Amino acid sequence: MIIVVDALNKDRFGDLLDEMFQLRARVFGDRLGWEVEIINGREIDQFDRLDPAYVIGLDDDGHVVSCVRALQTTGPHMLSDVFQVLLDGEPPLRSATLWESTRFCVDTERLCRDGNTMKAVSMATCELMIGSLEYARRSGISDIITVIDPVVNRVLKRSDNAPYDYVGSTKQMGKVPAMAALLDCTEERINRVRAFAGITHDVFVADDVVRDMLDARHARSVAEAQSATEWLATVCELERPMPAVLPEDIQSYCRAQIENAQTAEERAAALRLVDELVRQRIHPAVHQLVSQS
Amino acid sequence: MSADLIDLGGESRSAESFVTFLDQICERFELDHAAYAGTDPISGTVHGYANYPYDWKSHYRENGLHRIDPTLHVARRSIAPVDWSRLDRTSDFEKTFRDAHDFGITDRGLTIPVRGPYGDIGMLSVTRGCGVDEWETLAARVLPALQSVAVHMHDTVMRSDVLSRALRYPALSKREREILQWIAAGKSQQDIGDILGISHRTVEVHLRSGREKLYSLTTPQAVGRAIMLGLIYPL
Repeated sequence: MIIVVDALNKDRFGDLLDEMFQLRARVFGDRLGWEVEIINGREIDQFDRLDPAYVIGLDDDGHVVSCVRALQTTGPHMLSDVFQVLLDGEPPLRSATLWESTRFCVDTERLCRDGNTMKAVSMATCELMIGSLEYARRSGISDIITVIDPVVNRVLKRSDNAPYDYVGSTKQMGKVPAMAALLDCTEERINRVRAFAGITHDVFVADDVVRDMLDARHARSVAEAQSATEWLATVCELERPMPAVLPEDIQSYCRAQIENAQTAEERAAALRLVDELVRQRIHPAVHQLVSQS
Repeated sequence: MSADLIDLGGESRSAESFVTFLDQICERFELDHAAYAGTDPISGTVHGYANYPYDWKSHYRENGLHRIDPTLHVARRSIAPVDWSRLDRTSDFEKTFRDAHDFGITDRGLTIPVRGPYGDIGMLSVTRGCGVDEWETLAARVLPALQSVAVHMHDTVMRSDVLSRALRYPALSKREREILQWIAAGKSQQDIGDILGISHRTVEVHLRSGREKLYSLTTPQAVGRAIMLGLIYPL
């Protein structure tokens, strides 16, 4: 399932964006070692403050499994502001019908859980590619320039979605190489990716449906947490040692001390001993001492 | 790009020519009305042009509807064209369009937001009073061309300020100049792809970018301007 979150609906989907920024931190910071800024486990840069559009892929539970960010090339974007080095010092392409896409990533960990294979990763990747191409096409965009690493480049090629060309040259950006690739948003390309993945359905899901799904999941997890607490309490109740705080022999010793007390002081001392033993839940050494005596 | 739109990239620019351009947009794309609004943070100016009926424009201005109009305030933050059906039916929306309805202005429309390099933002809004199916078919058909027209209009309006014009001197890449040079030599896009050993689509995307950077709607205009600016050689 694909949802587009931009400035118009981001107030409704703050939880999705937060999950997406965490995914980006795991992928670009932890896994790929890009020189990105991560604060509180979230990777957010200056371009996220420019109201970009995010195309986000969700799994059946409404968890973020893939994402990519789109900006217009007529205004500030990564190739014009931070990736010029990829263009060999040349000015970037600027066109009304050309968008830039960056931060393309897929959550392989989540998708491979529960015995899923790389097939799930491939499907999620293709669904995201279809979603972003169709969203751009619907917006009157004819081409996308995308900043990717050689791994994503290979993924695109393998998915029958090979870039038709590259601009500038591949350059080392921090620990990994990056390149600027061109993709057309034509129906032919979209159909190729759809055919490759065997996806024929509409990949987009309505805002309201996603919101309901997230709210339902939230309610469910609250209920689950509640019942888990109750269950834990029951288990603890069963396992809690029964009041035999003092072993039988110590109990009889203490009882004897109290009963045999000749004076109020002796009786008080015996009671203090019981109190002390109970408080400390019987020190093993005391136990031994008592049983020996 | 069709030649029935006057090119605004030339030297003579006036409010009148901008409104004429909006008229031509309506004619070419089968629309009722078109409006452009843009802000230039460098000169601190706000520009607005529209071919709405005079009465509606005065009402809009006198009632300060530009301060609440969601087609401006909401759409400006999107990167994609915003169909007005996507706007939340807030009290601002109701107020703007209740008044608009009284003046015979439809709420069937869309706004194309344009972002420029210096924090400048422009919006081209177009309307047509028709059924939803007809509207959706039309919008899907004309959107790519309307995107280009919106950026053309925005860039030209932003260049009416001297300082902004100086900043917006066309920065063409080697590839863009090279392709324009071959066009000037009379080669077709297919030929150029073969000569440079690149795909036809690569030629197209660079040519489009070069043309728009030269504030031109057509390739011949772009070649003329590139020669004038000394970016390519006359042949």
